[in-house]
Amino acid sequence: MSGLVLENVVAGYRGRPVLHGVSLSVPARGSLTVVGPNGSGKSTLMKTVVGLVQPQKGRVLLEGEDVTRLDAPGRARRGLGHVPQEANVFRSLSVSENLKVAFEFIPARSGATFASRLEAVLALFPEIRPKLKVAAGHLSGGQRQMVAMAAALMPEPSVLALDEPSAGLSPKNAELLFAAIARIASTGVTLLMIEQNTRLGLAVAARGLVLVAGQVKAEAPATDLLSDGLMQSLYLGGH
Amino acid sequence: MISYVAATLVLVAIATIAGLALNLQWGLGGLVNFGLFGFYMLGAYVCALLDTKGVPPLAAMAAAIVVTAAVSAAVSLISVRLSEDYLAIVTLGFAECVRLFISYEEWLTRGTLGVPGIVRPFAGSVPPEWSDAVFLAFAYAWLALVFLLLRKITRAPFGRLVRATRDDATVAEALGKNVLAVRAKVFAIGGALLGVAGSLHAFHYSYIDPTQFSTTLNAYAFMAVIIGGRGSHLGVLIAGFTVILLLEGSRFLADVIPFLDGAQLAALRLFLVGAGLVAILIFKPDGLVREYRLRSGAS
Amino acid sequence: MGQLIFNGLVTGLLIALPALSLALVFSVLRFANYAIGSMLTVGAYLVYAFNAGLGWPLPLAALAGGAVGAGLALAIDRLVYEPLKGRGGVTLLVASIGVGIALENAVRFIAGSSTRGFAVEVARPLRLHGLRINQEQITTIATVLLALAVVWIVFRFTRLGRAMRAVADNADLAAVRGIPRRQVVCAVWVISSVLATLAGVLVGLDGNVDPQMGWNYILPVFTAAILGGIGNPMAAVAGAVVLGITEELATLVLAPHYRTMVAFAVMALLLLVRPTGLFAAQGTAK
Repeated sequence: MSGLVLENVVAGYRGRPVLHGVSLSVPARGSLTVVGPNGSGKSTLMKTVVGLVQPQKGRVLLEGEDVTRLDAPGRARRGLGHVPQEANVFRSLSVSENLKVAFEFIPARSGATFASRLEAVLALFPEIRPKLKVAAGHLSGGQRQMVAMAAALMPEPSVLALDEPSAGLSPKNAELLFAAIARIASTGVTLLMIEQNTRLGLAVAARGLVLVAGQVKAEAPATDLLSDGLMQSLYLGGH
Repeated sequence: MISYVAATLVLVAIATIAGLALNLQWGLGGLVNFGLFGFYMLGAYVCALLDTKGVPPLAAMAAAIVVTAAVSAAVSLISVRLSEDYLAIVTLGFAECVRLFISYEEWLTRGTLGVPGIVRPFAGSVPPEWSDAVFLAFAYAWLALVFLLLRKITRAPFGRLVRATRDDATVAEALGKNVLAVRAKVFAIGGALLGVAGSLHAFHYSYIDPTQFSTTLNAYAFMAVIIGGRGSHLGVLIAGFTVILLLEGSRFLADVIPFLDGAQLAALRLFLVGAGLVAILIFKPDGLVREYRLRSGAS
Repeated sequence: MGQLIFNGLVTGLLIALPALSLALVFSVLRFANYAIGSMLTVGAYLVYAFNAGLGWPLPLAALAGGAVGAGLALAIDRLVYEPLKGRGGVTLLVASIGVGIALENAVRFIAGSSTRGFAVEVARPLRLHGLRINQEQITTIATVLLALAVVWIVFRFTRLGRAMRAVADNADLAAVRGIPRRQVVCAVWVISSVLATLAGVLVGLDGNVDPQMGWNYILPVFTAAILGGIGNPMAAVAGAVVLGITEELATLVLAPHYRTMVAFAVMALLLLVRPTGLFAAQGTAK
């Protein structure tokens, strides 16, 4: 069974397509990292997945169910968790309120209680336990990112979509965060990630996808993409 | 009957000038002036008080225009650091203060007693039976002048600058334009026009008191701008002549509809203004006439 | 002096309800609701209709008036603000001006322009430590404090309150978190209109019920909300109290009819010096 599928998606802004027929498939409990140069359409892809942009053509399937016509809250209630790149916590709410509000508007899939979910995400992110009463706006960038991810995980999503998790973090914080993402991946959630930092991003995912100019250029096991020298020099840049 | 029509036409011209002033400030400049009636009242009183002290009517009017322009610019500067939302409340607050000041400072304005005996321009050289006709022509000459002036301003580089600051103040600022000065100028010019309208009001009634100045003028002006199409002076002109004429003309209906008294009719009229304003915003957001744009691809 | 501060406190609490209402709408719907004055007027007349018209006791009439007012606010949202969603704060602001004009004149059309008063017994003022306290002032203090406590509890400790604060903080993220914006907006209008109706009753008890009554409060209400940092509902309450006391103390040097000028002066000064509001929390402001 597939966790998340995009079929020939054409999407963009004001009728001008940015994605030209993108197809991808993440198996249930699998993980996929989308990489590509700036302007390749990565963030449009993410917005289309979570329902902030409606595709002009194509379909979006969540666990086999067509969710193309659902808006963002609708998809969230069907089990799609999302961590936006920026402004991904409610800054004026405390950390525990952030977690609570993320939990209580989405029907729990396993009927889990708030307390048990809270313990589960705090086990994944022990760093935020001492900060529960602090306003999220007062946290550091790395801590905010963890709170955002913890909030997205509160309702036990079947699919978690991460938008550039390393953006704006120091290399050390990014390493810490990706260690946490690896822990999340092992809990059995289907993971879709967009990432600038190809080394970190591909290291935690089973498969990688290269998006260039709104089209899929390659899709392969992440380790193959990392070791493929040609691919790196062409699209990924650097080491 | 004829004098009723003439009086209505003068009121239409005055309200349309106020509408054009608002169109410059809000339509073109994006600056919501919710205190139009205060600037208008200020203009009327400056003109009336100088006029009744023996200053020649045209000189009194000129003084009113200068005062309202200067005061408008000053008021716009209060909300320099903020968005348009605040300008609306600042202008409204200012207008309320003007109304209070004029109502209570009897030594200067005679308060609720009002200012009687305002002399119209050319009163000495025109036979009394022609007074209304000459004044009607005077008012329409002003309306034409205001319209042409605004059209010229809009098509000049300054007009483009005003639209640019409305559409994106940050970009205009980044391009090295002084957004603050642009806003102050737009408010000053709009204020001058309200000074014109206020002076015409004083001349028209030849007696003014605080009860004549209410938010009805606000309502008419917003109506004219929204129906006419934000930013389009021609649209505001057309809207002024159709809508305000209809609304003012509906005073007639008091004689025709026996079961509504005058106060109810006035309330009904303003209710329709309010509801109409909302309906046009929803169903015809561009108004009757689209905003003037340069044809070149520069926009 | 003590009497002035006490009177100012009561005035401030009276302004606090509509100021909270205004700030609440601003924080979630992102526009300055100029119809707040008319909502207050309409609320007062609705309650008057139940109280003087049907002879219901005032508390019951206030409940009924609040319910009808809330229904009206929801209808207006459905007809006006929802279709204009996403068209920018200034368009919504101008629409609210239209709504305000329409509401006030609907009142004039139906009820006429004459002043009225609620059917309540006149009671003698109390004397306490040299303070003269009217029966209406006690009613005002008790009602406002109760209303504020309820709103505060809803805000802090309920699912709805968290949803409202989340949408106010970041509407896009709230959508991603599955929070239904529409329900939050409806809740905001219900709370906002009930607060306006309550304020209408209290203003009517303090003075008269007339079609201008709400209009006279627009300026102080906006000033209080700006003092608190508009979009910061609970700080608007603090702003209202500060403004009320300032207005009352200003009567020492200015004629009482110039209280509006004091409000304007306070607002102008504040906008020039500290546009984020006196009580805006540092760091968490967006």
